[in-house]
Amino acid sequence: MLRTTLAGLLAHRLRLLLTSLAIVLGVGFIAGTFVLTDTIDAGFSQSFAADADKVDVVVTPADAEDDGTLPERALAAVRAVRGVRDAQPVLSGDAPLIGRDGKVVGDYPTAGVSIPASRMKITSGRAASAAGEAVLDENTAEAQGYAPGATVAVLDKAGDRHEFRLVGTFDVGLDPDLAYRGAVAFTPETARLVTGAKGFTEIDVLSSGPAPETLRTAVAAAVGSGAKVVTGRERGDELARRNHVDTAFLRTGLLLFAAVALLVAALVIYNTFGILVAQRTREMALLRCIGATRRQVFGSIVLESAVVGLLSSVLGLLTGLGLGAAAVAVLRATGTDVPTGTVSLSPQTIAIGLCTGVVVTVAAALLPARQATRVPPVAALGTQTEEHTFRTGVVRVVFATLFTVAGAGLTAAGVLQNPGQVALLTVMAGGVLVFFAVLVLGPVIVRPLSGLAGWVPARLFGVPGRLAVGNSRRNPRRAATTTVALTVGVTLMTFMSVLTATVRSTVSDQLDRQFPADYILTAQTGGIPRSIADTLRASRDLSAVTEFRGKKAKVNGHDYEVGTVTRAALGTSVKPEASAGTLDGLGAGDVAVADFVAQDLGVKVGDHVTVMSGGRSVPLTVVAVLKAGVSLLPPFTMAEQAFEQRFGRVDDAQILLNAAPGVPAERARAVVDDATAAYPAVKVGSTTEIRGQFDEAIDTVLMVVTGLLALAIVISLLGIANTLSLSVHERTRESALLRALGLTRPQLRGMLSVEALVLGLVGAIVGVVLGVLYGWAATATLTKDVSFRLPVTQILVFIAASGLAGVLAAVLPARRAARASVVGALAAS
Amino acid sequence: MSTTTQTRTAVVARGLTKVYGAGDAAVHALRGVDVDFAAEAFTAIMGPSGSGKSTLMHCLAGLDTVTDGRVGIGDAELTRLNDKQLTLLRRERVGFIFQAFNLLPTLTAEQNIRLPLEIAGRQADQALFDRVIETVGLRDRLGHRPSELSGGQQQRVAVARALISKPQVIFADEPTGNLDSRSGAEVLAFLRRSVRELGQTIVMVTHDPVAAAYADRVIFLRDGLLVSELERPTPQTVLDALMALEA
Repeated sequence: MLRTTLAGLLAHRLRLLLTSLAIVLGVGFIAGTFVLTDTIDAGFSQSFAADADKVDVVVTPADAEDDGTLPERALAAVRAVRGVRDAQPVLSGDAPLIGRDGKVVGDYPTAGVSIPASRMKITSGRAASAAGEAVLDENTAEAQGYAPGATVAVLDKAGDRHEFRLVGTFDVGLDPDLAYRGAVAFTPETARLVTGAKGFTEIDVLSSGPAPETLRTAVAAAVGSGAKVVTGRERGDELARRNHVDTAFLRTGLLLFAAVALLVAALVIYNTFGILVAQRTREMALLRCIGATRRQVFGSIVLESAVVGLLSSVLGLLTGLGLGAAAVAVLRATGTDVPTGTVSLSPQTIAIGLCTGVVVTVAAALLPARQATRVPPVAALGTQTEEHTFRTGVVRVVFATLFTVAGAGLTAAGVLQNPGQVALLTVMAGGVLVFFAVLVLGPVIVRPLSGLAGWVPARLFGVPGRLAVGNSRRNPRRAATTTVALTVGVTLMTFMSVLTATVRSTVSDQLDRQFPADYILTAQTGGIPRSIADTLRASRDLSAVTEFRGKKAKVNGHDYEVGTVTRAALGTSVKPEASAGTLDGLGAGDVAVADFVAQDLGVKVGDHVTVMSGGRSVPLTVVAVLKAGVSLLPPFTMAEQAFEQRFGRVDDAQILLNAAPGVPAERARAVVDDATAAYPAVKVGSTTEIRGQFDEAIDTVLMVVTGLLALAIVISLLGIANTLSLSVHERTRESALLRALGLTRPQLRGMLSVEALVLGLVGAIVGVVLGVLYGWAATATLTKDVSFRLPVTQILVFIAASGLAGVLAAVLPARRAARASVVGALAAS
Repeated sequence: MSTTTQTRTAVVARGLTKVYGAGDAAVHALRGVDVDFAAEAFTAIMGPSGSGKSTLMHCLAGLDTVTDGRVGIGDAELTRLNDKQLTLLRRERVGFIFQAFNLLPTLTAEQNIRLPLEIAGRQADQALFDRVIETVGLRDRLGHRPSELSGGQQQRVAVARALISKPQVIFADEPTGNLDSRSGAEVLAFLRRSVRELGQTIVMVTHDPVAAAYADRVIFLRDGLLVSELERPTPQTVLDALMALEA
């Protein structure tokens, strides 16, 4: 039996090639994910290890999480320990760098640091050695166009401007915070002066002889309990471990998409084996005739799938190695700061890849194998393969109903719940159940749907078109599985596109509603001097200058920001929406609370809260609970005058303003820029810019997800190609007959293309319906008032692309069908 | 070899040669056949297995390419046509009946019958359609799919499909091979009636002397050559001729 199976496999190498491709791609995705993350992990470990070797002992504050620092005396204590050759402090704080445009660089203040020379990677020039010298991280230097020799300016803690001579650039290495913010490095004394840092974030110790472990004990004894002392090696391991969590996150994300791809691959394999078994009815019957038991027939199919699974998994591992290497190459080429090690397949990756591939393939072949055992021996004597008739069975109806009812129920429950994670998860669970219902109902709905999808093609392409639509409805079970594979990908794509479109329009609507402003002024550090608002208000080119102020205070014993907003702006340029109470007539003893804070503190309209400021406690009455959303208002909003009385003249945190009616945007912008020119820390943004950045971020997410889903789509197209080529094989005689009756080769090719088009459209239609439905359901669980948006163009593109892709998948099978000789095909029975 | 007839000629072959394969493996299926088929006549092609009768039919119908010689249907020279032109010729001028019925399982009997016309984009002549349906006796079966029809009924659908487009010639390849004798006799009777009443030209390949006896004329092939022929055959004369062939 084994030999028969293997001989059969060898004889049908080509037939199984397409099938195995599905598994090759799925396993390749998994293996590629592991190869990529392993390589990044290895790269990080190597870099951390290399860094760690430069230092023998590292002293850090005991509570590093809480921004703790080491006191000055710790450095002296460490230096006094016997066996310490050198001990250098690491300082860190804010030193906002002023860019070429006269404004501070970036969204967050540039870091001002002092790093021991032993650990600093100078990439050009040298390290700072005098008070007037500074070193800039190479990325910021490049972005801002600063080279060694240039003069750079930073703001100190008090907001005063200091100039330094740039003497070099350095590489921030693997510190994600410095990499994101950018960094200026000084000598320790200068760093302390500029940033106002009160202590050290780290002390690096070099040994004059003793082993690191010995030195660690001595240093630990010297600095006491306020510090954590580890060897350089231990520190490197710890950082690598912490980073491993990040790659694990990336890995999980990618594996989710790999799982989708594998699900689609499983559907394709299930279908292929199903068709192969149907086509080999006579072969199976013959085996039964000459004495093979049902178990042996079953075993032969399972064995066949295991061999296919194993071979394609091996190919998949190689593909994964290639994919991983390609991803690593892209990372390197785009110059990201991700360190990478050597690309290799770890034993773990090999084990996981092989197991997944084989298990998925064999599992997908189990049902078809069972089908094969039902072939009676007498079927060997029959001449023609039976045309499959499909009847909707009771079991199918019962299961479909159960899944639909349960799925729809869960979905409805999720949508009706209060928005939140639970609601979203409920909706998703409902979605999975409904998908099962579609899977079960597939063969039932595929007939009317292909009639619908084929309505236009049948009229457009004449006889071949009508024949094609007939063919697509001919074996509903097969057509359903083929299209469902495509449905998976299209559903997820549509879902994402509905979700992103809705989030985009919801956020945009809320921005419009709550802040009908053209410009927004923010301060990167400190506040916005009140004189700016006065200057702006004096300009005729601007209108509706709205100031936001705030200060930290204890409210009912908890730390919150208490603030206020320009009185006149309430209800005009700022329209906060209250979920309870009202902001109208906000009095001196009143306060409005953001909804999430009200929930945390358990207060509602009419309650009293106590605000502690400057040692005095002030009772306030809650008059409104505000929907937080994208509100710029602080958690507690007081009336402007009352706030001024309690907290004094506080700088503005933000200023919103509009161009006066009829004033061109350039002129308004020039006025704003002029007013803020003297304050480098005050940045001017326009709502268009903010919206643009937000749009860009959303587009990126959509693009990445679409790219990752593309593989699932490609696999489902392989499925369409596979089904078609097997059907073409089955219908060789029919095609020959049509050719004999006068169908031209292009018409025959066209017929198969239309069939594929219909299959693609059916898959896309179901996918779009599910995707839109669940996109809507998911957005309903996000926030209360969603402005649902249907990305019609995108969805139409999905449908058209699916149909087109189907046609593409039909190219090879159609060519083969058209090329067959009429006489040969008619003779072969 | 040529027969002098007063009637028009529907199909003509001259020096028809067909070789499969090349070199040592070459099989000479036809070795230069000259034959005319009269219009509005029922001609049978007979011969032992491997005599080349099916190959001859395939070449005459434009289903297969010829190695040498020429074939004409009406005024068309098949050997000069490319695949597209051959397809159009089959569509317009040739009808087929096969041993294995070869109906499309997705179409009803009526749709199967109308298929050649639809492929050609022509309207069915309703009177002709009715007459053909009457002739083959399928009126109450038109809405059925092939799987719901008996073998005899399926073959009658195939005959109707061949007749409906009024082709210049119908080629029938062992049309009774898969039928019981009663259904076979019925189908043959329809074929003869369509020649008599509808003026159809039919060329039929068969190895059954009884089937051949329904024809107006029988030609005999052996080893790729036309060896003899018989006008107004009876089962006995056909059998005798076949015996003579084997001798």
